[in-house]
Order: sequence, then C-alpha cells, then structure tokens
Amino acid sequence: MPTAPVPTPTPDKEDAVTPSFRLPTAAGTPYLFLLPGLVILGALLSVPLYKVVEYSLYDNVIVERNPTFVGLDNYRDILGDPGYWSAGFNTIVFTVGSVIGHMIVGIGLALLVNADIHPRARTFFRSMLVLPWIFTAVVVALNWQLLLNPFGLLNYVLDWLGLITEPLDWLGNPDLAMWSLLVISTWRGYPFIMVSFLSGLQTVPKELYEAAEIDGAGFWHKFWHVTLPQLKPVIFGVALLDLIWTFQLFPLVWLTTGGGPGRATEVLSTLTFRLAFVDFEFARAATVAVSILIISAAFTVLYLRNEARRL
Amino acid sequence: MTRHLPAWALAAATSAAALMPASLHAAEIEWLQWFAAENTGGFYEELVADFEAQHPDITVKLVTQPFGKVRESIVTDNAIGVGSDVLGLNMPWTTEFLEIGILEPLDDYLARDDNSFETDQLVEAPLGKIDGKTWMVPLNAFPFVMHVNMGLVEQAGFDAPPSSWDALAEQAAAISALGDGTSGLGMPFSSQPPSNGPILTFLPLLYANGGRIMDGTTPDFDNPKVVETLEFLQQLEQSGALAPGAASRTGGVDLEEFIAGRTGFLISPGVHSSSITSRNPELDYTLVRVPSNGAEAYRVHGWEIGISADSDNKEAAWTFVDYLLSPEVNARVAKASNALPGNLAALDTVRADADATLVKQMDILSGDTPVEEMRQSPKAAASWSLMTEELQSMLRGDQTPAEAASAVQARWMDLIQ
Repeated sequence: MPTAPVPTPTPDKEDAVTPSFRLPTAAGTPYLFLLPGLVILGALLSVPLYKVVEYSLYDNVIVERNPTFVGLDNYRDILGDPGYWSAGFNTIVFTVGSVIGHMIVGIGLALLVNADIHPRARTFFRSMLVLPWIFTAVVVALNWQLLLNPFGLLNYVLDWLGLITEPLDWLGNPDLAMWSLLVISTWRGYPFIMVSFLSGLQTVPKELYEAAEIDGAGFWHKFWHVTLPQLKPVIFGVALLDLIWTFQLFPLVWLTTGGGPGRATEVLSTLTFRLAFVDFEFARAATVAVSILIISAAFTVLYLRNEARRL
Repeated sequence: MTRHLPAWALAAATSAAALMPASLHAAEIEWLQWFAAENTGGFYEELVADFEAQHPDITVKLVTQPFGKVRESIVTDNAIGVGSDVLGLNMPWTTEFLEIGILEPLDDYLARDDNSFETDQLVEAPLGKIDGKTWMVPLNAFPFVMHVNMGLVEQAGFDAPPSSWDALAEQAAAISALGDGTSGLGMPFSSQPPSNGPILTFLPLLYANGGRIMDGTTPDFDNPKVVETLEFLQQLEQSGALAPGAASRTGGVDLEEFIAGRTGFLISPGVHSSSITSRNPELDYTLVRVPSNGAEAYRVHGWEIGISADSDNKEAAWTFVDYLLSPEVNARVAKASNALPGNLAALDTVRADADATLVKQMDILSGDTPVEEMRQSPKAAASWSLMTEELQSMLRGDQTPAEAASAVQARWMDLIQ
C-alpha cells in the first residue's frame, strides 16, 4: 500500500512563512524603541498643551469648580483688551530689539575671538565671553538691578564723567526701562549667537580670504563679500531660533522689572503669568498662552523650512 | 533552602498591611510654609521632630518655600490635587482662596473642648469671619512699625525719632541732605513680584492718619484721608526725603538699604527687627510707632495657618495646628521669629525674656488699634499691584494725588466686577 507522501516544506513555502512571522517584529522594533519617548512626549507635551487649549474655551477655570464652556468668548475678550495689544507691541519691540542686539554683538565678538592671536589668549577670551550664557536669569536680573540702581555703578560712572546731574532710575522710568531691558537681554543672549557664528566662521575656506586679499580687499570688504554670504544660512537659522526663544522669554523680564513700571515692559509671557497668578484669571491666561503658541509655531515652521532647505 | 521570599508570603504580608485599621498607619501630613525659610537655624525642623515624638502616629513633611512663591504654589498644587494639608497663610489671601475653595472652615475644630488653647485667647484679626466662617488661625502676630537708624537721625541734628508726620518729613529730608548716598525714607514701589510696596508703607501711614481703603468688601480708595496721605507722600518726594528710584525699589532692597545703614527710616513689619539686628549688629537701631497724623492705629500682620479643604488627613492636620497653638509651643515659635505669639496666653512667657524691640512692639499692640483690610479684598494681589502702578505714576508727577486715588478706585471697581 503506497504511503501518502509526507508533505515537506519547500524552501519557497518556508520563505513565504518566515516573512509573515518576522514582519511584525522587524517592522515593529523601531516603534518599540520609540515608545518610551512617545509616551514621555505625550505626557509632558501633548497633555498640558491640550489642557491649555481646553482651559481657553471655558469660563474661569480652576477658580470655578464647574466652569462653563464659552467657546471663543475668551479670545474675543482678549482681542478687545488694550492691555493685550500693548503687551503684544512690547513683545515685538523686546523680541526684535533683543535679536538685533544679539546678532550685532554676537557677530562682532565672534569675529574678534576668531582672530589669529595667541591660543591661550583666544581660549581665555572665548571662555570669558560665553559666561553670560551660563548664569541663571535670577543671577543676571539681580546683578543688573544692582548695576542700574540709582546708587549703582552705572549712575556713579555717568556722574563722575559729568554726563548726569542726578541719578537715573533705569528700570523704574517708563522711558528708559525697555531700553535697559534690551541691554540686559542682549548681554544675556549674545553668547549663543557668538558660539554659532564662531563655528560657522571656522568653516569658511581660508582661500576665499586669501583671494580677496590678493584683490586688495580690506576688512569690511572681506566681511561683506566673503564672510556674510558664506554665513547667510547660519545667520537666518540662528536668528529664527533666537526669535522663537526671545518671543516667549519670561524669567528675565519678570525678575528684572516685573513688567513695570506701570506696564512699560509688560510682554505677552508676563501678561500670561499676571493673569494666572496675580489676577487668578486662568482661562484668560490660557487664551494669551495659546496666542503665544500660535505665533511661536509660525516661527518654528519658518525655521524648519529653512533647515530643510539647507539640508 | 529558599533564596527568594515565596510569593504567597509576600501576598499575605501585603494583604495584612492593607487590612490593618487606618489608625494604625502613621498619617503623613504636609506643611507648606515660608517660616522655615526665614529662620534657617533649624528651629522648624526641631519643632516637627518634637511633634512627631509626641504623636508617633503622625509624620509631618516640612515643605519650605520663599514667601513670594507660597501663594502661587498653594493655588497650583490645589488645581492639580496635590495640595499640602497644613498651609502657611497670609491674611490678604483669605478671600481669594475662599473663591477657589482652597480652605477648610475651622469653626468646628475651634469649638472642640479638648483643644490645647482657648479660642478667645488667639489674636483676633485672622479669626474674623468671612462668609460666616473662620478660615485661619494666627501662629504669630506683629505690627507694622518704623525702624530707625539713630546714627543718621543724630547726624542730621535730631535727638529722638519722629512721632508725627511733620517731624518725619523734616527728619527724612535732613537725612537725605547729608549726602553720600543716604536717604530719609524708602518707598518700595517696584512692579516686581510681589509688587506690594504700598501695603507695606502707604497703608501703615494711612492708618496712622485715621484712614481706610475699604468699606466692608467694597473698595473705597478715593476718600479724603487717602488723598491726604498720598499728598504727604508727594510732599516727601518733592522735598527729596524719599530715596530715589521708588518705581524700581523692591521691599527686599528697601530692607537691605536700611540694614546697610544708608536709609534713615524703614516702614515694615516689626518682625524685620531680628534680621536688622542680626545682620548689622553695629547699626545704632531702634523701632518706633509709624508716625501719626492724629490716629493711633497700626497695620497688623502675622503668619497664619489653615487646613486645605482637599486634605485627606484633616484630623491629623488639626492635631498639628492644635500643637502649634498650645501656649508652650506658641511661645517658642514667637521667640524664634522675634514676634508676638498668636496665642496671647503665651504673652507672659514671651515677655519674660523679650528684647527691647519686642517690648516696644508689645506696647504698640496693646495700646493702638489693629487694622487689616486686605483680607476682605476679593482680589488682594491684583488690587495692590494696581495700587503700585498708580502710585508710581503719582510720584513721577504724571498725576496728582486726587487723580491717583480716583484711578485706583476705578481700576479696583473694574477688577471686582
């Protein structure tokens, strides 16, 4: 009696089985590695983000145990509030002024510390000039308050030089406070720009400078026609990044002036904090926070596009 | 030989623990306060250890933050459901916190027969009922006073500190005229948080002038007494008696400048006397009543305590509060902060070895009228922040005292609506 042949798996069949068995693991492994990161991001980013947007759609949340859904009323309210527009204007002045200050001082110092001097001196200056970036906002605010105090060092020096007859209240005079804040912000923020440009400068081929020198170019010609064009992508990317950070900067302003005198230095981030923790208007605070988020997101899209173009 | 604990044993132990009556577990309560930040000698840590030794079934977690951070922490912790059980409080926060439902009413606890203190012996101001209930009890109390640098007063040609507004104006201007960076009096009207300069300096002067800023819970800022007090501030500014830079001067800077000997007078809580004498023992220092313009009233202040409405351990929390208010413990707390006890039954113990500055504070407390109005304000922090902005503007010369008073009144009315 012939025995029925026992089917043996053919290589083809094995091949057909193996992929269907391995596919989920092989394709899923990267996702498993991503999972912790995604969970953390979800918990730390998405949930608070969702809550802030949700809060902005309710009547005074947290204070009211059972807040009512009011749709876009808080947005209408905020957009009709002159205080919001004044803080928005101050934010633009502070952000644009700070970024310009960071760029001018950062580029200038990057050029200086890139100079061909003794290596020890170069290391010393590079280390010293990066210090403002290391200090916390509290330390920066306290030091500048002491310097700008009516009895502080700056007034003393100006008085000694005969430039003033009575001490100026740099942080308490509405005409001077924003300018003072811009100086402080420039001092605090230039090292990031300086470091970025310094690394950019070191990628510029020396041959370009040598060729320019042969053509008789001086310092400014080399700067305008060699350095800047070579660094253009870095400048744009770094400026955008700085714009995003500075736009939502809170601690430096709050700790230095508290948005005052009056509301002379009130920016959107300090307005958000004031509405939440001084006025206990958490829904309105969330609404202002969402407006900051929208504007920051627009800047971020610009930045990402710029980065994609560079790559 | 078993190398691992058998699973059944672990399960049995866990179940047994879960089935034990709750009272056999040590209850852990959290105490959020700023008091330990202002007494870094370990006094509050020792106090907690002493309480735990007397109550082995309760452990206390001491959570210390700087004063400026506590109000914000109480609100955010409450919002996310992790609020502390026992809260260090400040009277002006009362109405604000009631609206959010943070505080537990204490009337039933205070009515118990087995408390270690008599309720009618407690300093009265924080006990005043709002919405028909009591929300906090006083740990200690102190009046707002005027701290005096006698060295500068004498250099300016006077032999006694001022007791009237006229004398204050004269002496403060004379001290500023000494030059070399000295000023008569500071007005800390910075917008920086907590932005509360006017309640530290302007209100004590107003109360010494017989004025008030509230009519019950309704703002009443544009009254003649307020305008008169604002005019006095303006007069001080115009005569050069005030330290320059009021709009950027914080309460902290005001205190530091006085400690450093550069300001003649400092209007602030009496409790600052311990910081002043310990930080600059060389200072020729005394403290007096805030100079009067006809009234003998002072702004009363203190460190208060309450219980969180969301606490799961309210009984344990009250046991701890009861411990803090007992005459013996309360006297220790008062001595540690160089303040008056919240439980007046401890007054004699504190007086027994009180220094001269504390005795003067006791005289003020016993003879003059205590006033605390901010606790009735529905939005105290926002109110004083607006007051700061308008007073900055007045001292800059952008508006008259009457205009400043009207502006504050209008903005306060907007705020409560």
